[in-house]
Amino acid sequence: MAHVSLEEWLARAEGNRRFRENVTALKHIPASPGSFAPFPGWVHPKLRAVMEKRGISRLYSHQARAVDLVRDGRDVVLVTPTASGKTLCYNLPVLQKILEEPETRALYLFPTKALAQDQMHEIHSLIGELKADIKTFTYDGDTPDDARQAIRKQGHVVVTNPDMLHAGILPHHTKWQKLFSNLRYVVVDELHVYRGVFGSHLTNVFRRLRRICRFYGQDPVFICCSATVANPKEHAENLLEKEVALIDESGAPRAEKTFILYNPPIVNRELGIRQSALTPARNIASELIGNRIQTIVFATSRLNVEVLTKYLKDTFREKIPSDDHFVSGYRGGYLPHLRRAIEKGLRERSIMGVVSTNALELGIDIGDLQACLIAGYPGSIASTWQQAGRAGRRAGHSLAILIARSNPMDQFIVENPDYFFTRSPEHCRVNPDNLLILLHHIKSAAFELPFEEGERFGREDLLELLAYLEEKGVLHRVDQRWHWAAESYPADEVSLRTVNPENVVVIDDTVAGSPKVIAEVDWDGAFTTVHEGAIYMVESQQYHVDRLDLERKKAYVKKVDVDYYTDAMTYTNVKVIDDFDKKMQGRTIVEHGEVQVARKVVGYKKIKFYTSENVGFGDVNLPEKDMHTTSYWFTLPWDLLDTLALRREEVIDGLLGLAYCIHHIAAMLVMADIRDIDRCIGDKSGEWFVRHGKGKRIITSQPGAPGPEVMTDAFDPTLFIFDAYPGGIGFSELLFERHDELMSAARRLIGACACDHGCPMCVGPVLEVGPAAKEASLRILDLMEGS
Amino acid sequence: MSLRDRLSRLTGEGTKTPAPGSRQETISELRQRVDALMTRREGISRGPVRSFGPAVPLEHLVTGEEVEMPQGRFFFSRSRLEGSHVHGLHRVCDLASLSMEAAGILAGSSELGGSNPTDALFLDTETTGLAGGTGTFPFLIGIGWFEHRDFITCQLFARDYSEEKAMLAFLGETAAEKRFLVTFNGRSFDVGLLAARFILNRIPDPLAAMPHLDLLHPSRRLVGHRLENSRLVTLEEFVLGLKREDDIPGQEIPQRYFDWLKRRDGRLLEGVFRHNRLDIVSMASLARHLADLLESPHGHPHAHESDLLSAARLLLDRGRTDQARLRLEALADSGDPDVALSALKSLSLIHKKAGQWDRAAGIWEAMVSRDPLDVFAVEELAKWCEHRSHAFGRAALLVERVLGECGTLASAEQQALAHRLERLLRKASLTGP
Repeated sequence: MAHVSLEEWLARAEGNRRFRENVTALKHIPASPGSFAPFPGWVHPKLRAVMEKRGISRLYSHQARAVDLVRDGRDVVLVTPTASGKTLCYNLPVLQKILEEPETRALYLFPTKALAQDQMHEIHSLIGELKADIKTFTYDGDTPDDARQAIRKQGHVVVTNPDMLHAGILPHHTKWQKLFSNLRYVVVDELHVYRGVFGSHLTNVFRRLRRICRFYGQDPVFICCSATVANPKEHAENLLEKEVALIDESGAPRAEKTFILYNPPIVNRELGIRQSALTPARNIASELIGNRIQTIVFATSRLNVEVLTKYLKDTFREKIPSDDHFVSGYRGGYLPHLRRAIEKGLRERSIMGVVSTNALELGIDIGDLQACLIAGYPGSIASTWQQAGRAGRRAGHSLAILIARSNPMDQFIVENPDYFFTRSPEHCRVNPDNLLILLHHIKSAAFELPFEEGERFGREDLLELLAYLEEKGVLHRVDQRWHWAAESYPADEVSLRTVNPENVVVIDDTVAGSPKVIAEVDWDGAFTTVHEGAIYMVESQQYHVDRLDLERKKAYVKKVDVDYYTDAMTYTNVKVIDDFDKKMQGRTIVEHGEVQVARKVVGYKKIKFYTSENVGFGDVNLPEKDMHTTSYWFTLPWDLLDTLALRREEVIDGLLGLAYCIHHIAAMLVMADIRDIDRCIGDKSGEWFVRHGKGKRIITSQPGAPGPEVMTDAFDPTLFIFDAYPGGIGFSELLFERHDELMSAARRLIGACACDHGCPMCVGPVLEVGPAAKEASLRILDLMEGS
Repeated sequence: MSLRDRLSRLTGEGTKTPAPGSRQETISELRQRVDALMTRREGISRGPVRSFGPAVPLEHLVTGEEVEMPQGRFFFSRSRLEGSHVHGLHRVCDLASLSMEAAGILAGSSELGGSNPTDALFLDTETTGLAGGTGTFPFLIGIGWFEHRDFITCQLFARDYSEEKAMLAFLGETAAEKRFLVTFNGRSFDVGLLAARFILNRIPDPLAAMPHLDLLHPSRRLVGHRLENSRLVTLEEFVLGLKREDDIPGQEIPQRYFDWLKRRDGRLLEGVFRHNRLDIVSMASLARHLADLLESPHGHPHAHESDLLSAARLLLDRGRTDQARLRLEALADSGDPDVALSALKSLSLIHKKAGQWDRAAGIWEAMVSRDPLDVFAVEELAKWCEHRSHAFGRAALLVERVLGECGTLASAEQQALAHRLERLLRKASLTGP
């Protein structure tokens, strides 16, 4: 059978009614010519010759602007699409300066080791062609000890990651004297990755970096690149804490692209269940790859990558039995040489299909693919465009299809194409002055150099924080200098990426005397997944948790074969401590401020496989977890709610549904993981709150206080969305500012959902939030607007 | 609300001891976790602290004085060990007659050759930790050198962080008068740490460029094989014949200094000064001992023959074949069969390398006749028979016997031997009986 081209395949698909029915948007993005500028006169002839040899005889307009600004010593942030020649914007000025002044040093930061390796190869080949004595190295956890000394002294360009800078380079800055004494440029790629906790840490790492540079008499220029977000300039300025010039008009020519938003068909209207996103992904990918249209499929988890890869391999094993590598998987955890082989196979087109996690989202060179399937919204519009950008880089028509899963975020995106296509609503937020984060870095900074009177670090009162650390016995003050005075190495005490670096180890004790570690669960997850009595599953093997030892961070499990799984019942109770700001919005008071959050796992349900019957309960006795953080909230007085003429239980169901929906949309707006923020319905005093009881929702007073588990008039319901990190990470204020947008997005999502009484795609599973939730939540939204 | 209040709320500090099960208890649980997160490794090694009575000034316990430099002041203690003093197995006056040639071999550096023992600067620091990095502070720097028949130790002590600069400047001036450095593990610890502190204080670092004899590595090499570890105190006890009494455990030292900063009680540090001074003197003793092992065929009267064997091998590695051969020939007659055998092995390889095949083969023959299953000797002899004397049949017999009777062969060894046997048999059949 003859193969069809991508255009022919698209024409057929568009003509196919069953395909079209699931398409919520189909957008042709036309090709556009580029806008160009000549090389600036200052570019070294050797460098220019190398560029020209590579077919670059002139620059894109944004490249020309960027390199000129950098040349003038300005810090820049570059926001342009994939394949618009971003790397040239930093490699050109950096190499130029090294050619002029051979002592010049530059530091490149990438969020992952794989990206760092890739960029190293890129600049390495440029240098090779330049035939100049310029040395470039990656420096990360894999760098052998015996190579490190040479890198510190000789590397002109050192390519590393923020974690290594934090724990491996800055605390040893004297060994890097040569680098810091000559550091002229710092390149920060994928800037949008540094948001939330990670970004808050990185801001402090930059404070430390610039402090060390000052010690050596340097003030390097920062060159940043970012995917498209709503606030790139603001975000860059928040991270660097200085003025940054924004370059966001791409001069790169664009090839034609078709972008499809695809919502799989509903298979159970009652429960609002749609077909899994993997099914259409598999079918479409098989067709495209079968027609020799090179395709990348992004899946949201490692497991999904493996499943899809297997399906596709099976498909093609029959057709092309000789070539098992026609389709390949790709994810973190594959060994480096295998990854390199796959990347090469893609560039050489011996591999026609690859299924990947977001490991291939960032700029690893895999050549120009034709089609990209995104099976599940990757969590941000920025990531979606980056993934889509892996198909069709410079010339020819390309295709991207986003396939939605059954959750509010995915559904909102595919059902609101304008939102997706017309603007970027996503804000990057950081809160570098979160006290806990700030304190960690003040300790690390003191380790690196004593603090001196009059120094600044962050926006809090440094003197008071230094005094606090002095009192804790880790700093020692003498002659108005604060010295590190402890045996430890403070940079090791904190991980930049995770909220809580502690893990609980799951130990299989089935065979007496030979315990085996089978998994690790993060600290917070441990309370709900490996409490005593829980059924814990690894690769579909069930384990019964016999004991959870929180002190030693171990859970002991035994293999079992039972017909149920467990679902933890938790409660969350929020109490307002301080409101920072409030406003009247419609008929609601909206506020944000500081709160105390108490969370506790009280028990679990045993749920039968397939039927989802509730077949029993168990109690759990774990300590309550308590945290101070920041929250955004709004309160709905009963006076107002009573005008709805709904029963109180129905109102509570509606609020729970609304909270579910807003929680998901909020995560989308602030580019947070769904677990980075959390929700609660209660009253502002923390005395009453809603929790899931055995089989029903109940309003309950806080434990210890007298009070029955009954409905009460005593409180006006308040909906809290709070930062799930002690001290807060800055999401709450942003949500407060964008309350209106959140409400209207919630309205659109719930209003447009095809389910009858609520489903996981809008207000949550009907079995959890009750049959009135969908209707009631819509009426509550109307009420708030005042209509 | 004050920053302090916010902090104490975040960390849950300032709450009274809670009743069990109450909300307060869970707050302090969070605080414990935050504290654990923030101070994970602090406070592990809080050693015993002597806190009875009023503080005793340091000068009452450690002889010394304040030194004033343009950069500031610090505390300085100097002492002299008379040449007649006995430190373990050695007299101090003997230590100074260290062979510089041997020292150069120990250091693996020819730069020491032209120096005298009096050019040596012995150095050891006491620090606020072992973590490395710029935040570790060497608060006590011990140095030592030979002066005629005597040994001088000087201790430079920063009574506070503010005295570091003057202390380092003094160290810099003293080091400039010496030509090489002797340390114990200084290559990977003390010298690097001081380099960082010189940079932090913007003082030129005189140590980095000095030739350096780090005694740790040669100690491991020459005597480490018979010791549980290669720490200096272990070497003292089992090599230098010295047992420390009342010595302060090294891991207590950082906390002692932190406590000193708060209480200024000399009793906290008296033991640290003593510990550091002993380290310096022992380094001088160790240097002499190790050099002796290389220098004389019999080493020190107390030397173990196995140490002498290691010394001979070190000489061999450093290209001193003739010296090595003389030592090995002496050791081949050792009463210790292991030492004798190892010496013979090494000797045979020296002969082999020199092309003195008959002498080498003689040794192998002797080894095989003593133990027909000696794999090393059989293999070497088989090679010799195969390539030199062409006695294929003889070689095949030797190999066959080992293959048949030796039960401890590794599979790779077995394979190699089997392969050799096959080839030998083929060659034997070609040339006929």
